Amino acid sequence: MEGQTPVVRRRTLVAVLATVLVLAPLGWLWFASLVPERYSVLQMGAADYGGGPGTFAHDHGETAGQPRLSVEQLVADPVRRADVRVDLAAARATLALGAKAVPGFTLNGTSPGPTIRAVQGQLVEVHLRNVDVADGVALHWHGVDVPNAEDGTAGVTQDAVLPGHDHVYRFVAEDAGTYWYHSHQLSAAQVAGGLLGALVVTPRPAVAQQVDALALSHTYGGVRTLNGVAGDQHVVTAPGRSVRLRLVNTDNGLVQVWGSAPYTVLAVDGHDVNRPTPVSGPAYTLTAGGRVDLGLTVPTDGSAVRVQVSKGLAVVVGPDGAPDVAPPPQPTAQVDLLSYGSPAPVGFDPATATRRFRYSIGHRPGFVDGRPGLWWSVNGHLYPNIPMMMVSSGDVVTVHLDNHSGEAHPMHLHGHHAVVLARDGVAATGSPWWFDSLDVADGATYDVAFVADNPGIWMDHCHNLEHAADGMVVHLMYTGVTTPYVIGGPVRNRPE
Amino acid sequence: MKNVYRVLAYAVAALVAVQAASIAYALFGLAKYIDGGGAVDKNSDGFPGVGGLMAHGVGGQLVIPVVALALLVVSFFAHVPGGVRWALIVLGTVVVQVALGIFSHSLPALGAVHGALALVLFGVAVTAAMRVGSATSVVDEPARVATPVA
Ligand code: HEM
Ligand SMILES: [Cu+2]
Repeated sequence: MEGQTPVVRRRTLVAVLATVLVLAPLGWLWFASLVPERYSVLQMGAADYGGGPGTFAHDHGETAGQPRLSVEQLVADPVRRADVRVDLAAARATLALGAKAVPGFTLNGTSPGPTIRAVQGQLVEVHLRNVDVADGVALHWHGVDVPNAEDGTAGVTQDAVLPGHDHVYRFVAEDAGTYWYHSHQLSAAQVAGGLLGALVVTPRPAVAQQVDALALSHTYGGVRTLNGVAGDQHVVTAPGRSVRLRLVNTDNGLVQVWGSAPYTVLAVDGHDVNRPTPVSGPAYTLTAGGRVDLGLTVPTDGSAVRVQVSKGLAVVVGPDGAPDVAPPPQPTAQVDLLSYGSPAPVGFDPATATRRFRYSIGHRPGFVDGRPGLWWSVNGHLYPNIPMMMVSSGDVVTVHLDNHSGEAHPMHLHGHHAVVLARDGVAATGSPWWFDSLDVADGATYDVAFVADNPGIWMDHCHNLEHAADGMVVHLMYTGVTTPYVIGGPVRNRPE
Repeated sequence: MKNVYRVLAYAVAALVAVQAASIAYALFGLAKYIDGGGAVDKNSDGFPGVGGLMAHGVGGQLVIPVVALALLVVSFFAHVPGGVRWALIVLGTVVVQVALGIFSHSLPALGAVHGALALVLFGVAVTAAMRVGSATSVVDEPARVATPVA
């Protein structure tokens, strides 16, 4: 026996080659998915110019000859004095929810943090101090179209605020409506843990004779709450009064809302509905991250109105001592904003769009930062190789969203409000449906449009924050805007 | 190598059983939870048995595909008669099974195929494993090919 015969040797060679052929592509995919320890979102993904100018540019963010603008410069009037000043101290805490103790966070000792109230047009100034949240914090003003520097996304518009440090946010509350704020550093964990609160902007001529009530829905460690309480909310009002009930969904999943009496949908995501009509059967689907203002009238016979916010919790509005109202059964029908209310001009013509994007959501196997598994994809690609939507100030932008991923995604665009043009190819016929948080159900398509009127670098991500943490994060970037901040780096910015 | 091939093939079959077990465990956990008044939605913090779903996800997305891939690589070296072919059949079935796991979320009826195809996967994995014992004596390939015409 003199070792291996040539045939055996050849067969071994073939086996080795076959192995390489099978494993090399996988190894390459794994390697290509690795994300550096620190990187700028400017370098992220593939620039998508939506068919507009710059389509053939190489470096995104760069348009030849255009001066560069840093996100730090995109601020509210720096000399104007604040009208509303709020100090917020972020801290770790164990939250007591009935019998359950849940690890979480507080702002000024409570979760949700204090409700910030402003009148339309006021300049709001918030001093955030991080007491002891080790990973750092940042505050995002969800639904408020703030200047980019105030957007509160760690690693994009600021560095995470580390323990012992502070950060000031300044913005003019231009639009009346119901908003909320939440951490955008490690947001999946910090929002779940309660680093959030409500922000209410009331119109300048106040709406007379209206009771204003707020119920912020949040689930702490599986315990469902309204305004931080694991039980029904009672709003005491005289019979016959009209009530504006502001509802905020801070969770990752949508919430169904329905009432024991008719209601009207007064406003969605901080935008009034044009000529809303009473709804007396269907439920309202409140998108994750979304807000709705419902109009109710307290009966004159001394009874109360019960508004269910999901099955287990309710807001009960009525006179003191009104008899209990039995929970109304959950309707199967839902209010359809596509046809609710009456049309009105939206202020721009989507048909003249200068950028047209596609945002197609799938679910597929692959590697994200070296981790194998099933991941959410955007236009077929996985994080961080997903599109970077490039626009210029003044562009009219349309986005065609389609979801074939097997799960719903509540999509949230920072810094802008968009209007729904069509769903599943059916044109909108109701009031202009402005949104900042849109539930895109599995199998659904949406055509939406907005005006690029707020320069900066803005996230356009899934507000099921677990999905965002898994890479469902696209950016909308204005040409010529840069950021000095990086994801990762010394303060370990991690917006999701 | 032949033994490695056999062990990996049986491992795929055993893991299919684990997949079935994890789903059954999760379902019974869920049923008991609901029976006790529990409610589940997207914002819930799971239920007793949710670990079964996670185990199923890890088994289906990671463990079984890796073992099936290893089986294919080992088959190149093991010279099990029909070994490469059966390893490819196992891997192909796994790919279809994972695809069904993904698309059944949109089309729940496909879930029935997902459940049934698991038995096919079990079958092809056992068949692959059995190639090792039965066939070696019949086709002793190294002896045949090592007779060069001098
Ligand atoms: C043995 C019988 C099996 C049954 C009854 C079964 C059942 C199910 C069910 C009910 C789901 C949906 C649950 C969920 O997504 O959390 C699911 C998902 C899935 N299954 Fe199975 N399965 C079986 C075997 C397998 C096998 C053998 C594989 C792997 C090759 C597999 C891979 C998957 C994958 C990848 C998913 C998707 C997980 C996800 O979307 O996160 N299953 N299966
Ligand atoms: Cu999502």
